[in-house]
Amino acid sequence: MKWKNIQFGELEFEEKHVLNFPYGLIGFEENRKFLVVNDEESEPFRWLVSLDDPELSFPMIDVSTYSEISNKYFPKENVTLFAVASIKEHFDESTVNMRSPIVIDNADRKGKQIVLDDDVLMVRTPLTSFTPVLME
Amino acid sequence: MLILSRKLEEEIKIGDSISIKILAIQDGQVKIGIVAPKETKVFRGEIYDQIQKENIEAAKGTKGDVAHAAELLKQKKNKK
Repeated sequence: MKWKNIQFGELEFEEKHVLNFPYGLIGFEENRKFLVVNDEESEPFRWLVSLDDPELSFPMIDVSTYSEISNKYFPKENVTLFAVASIKEHFDESTVNMRSPIVIDNADRKGKQIVLDDDVLMVRTPLTSFTPVLME
Repeated sequence: MLILSRKLEEEIKIGDSISIKILAIQDGQVKIGIVAPKETKVFRGEIYDQIQKENIEAAKGTKGDVAHAAELLKQKKNKK
């Protein structure tokens, strides 16, 4: 399969790698199909690229091993967890959304953005304060 | 907009599968119980708006800025 994205150009992938988001993302409900793109220069960030809108992609960070979310809310589930990242020109202004992670069921490739009922997890967690977690 | 008055313990039904019950009223705060199907997303209005705004901000992220942030993260890691 092929898809042309404004930032990544032509992407080639297998159908089994397409993620289905039955409810889209919050504020982007009409986007139902996505692809996780690993871009070497962006690592450890990854990209959630819409397969419905050629101009839409979200940088995100894998928080599957972040115990405050994974152990607490998904102790036994076979899921991959991503936090959507707002990356600004100035690193210090960049944030990650820990409150509403993207949950991907590894078995059926279905994804959704959930909202955790947990005031400790911030929608705008400064990337600088989250950096130690990324370094583990 | 439909406006209804409800007393403590009284309910409102929306369609066949959603019900909202007034559980407590105290000090200007109302505690509400909501029963809805699993596929119905329920959350506080302000948090929804905040997440929507953040998703819009995230979608503006460019490959260049992300690569720059990634580079800074790697530098910090190496220093450690």
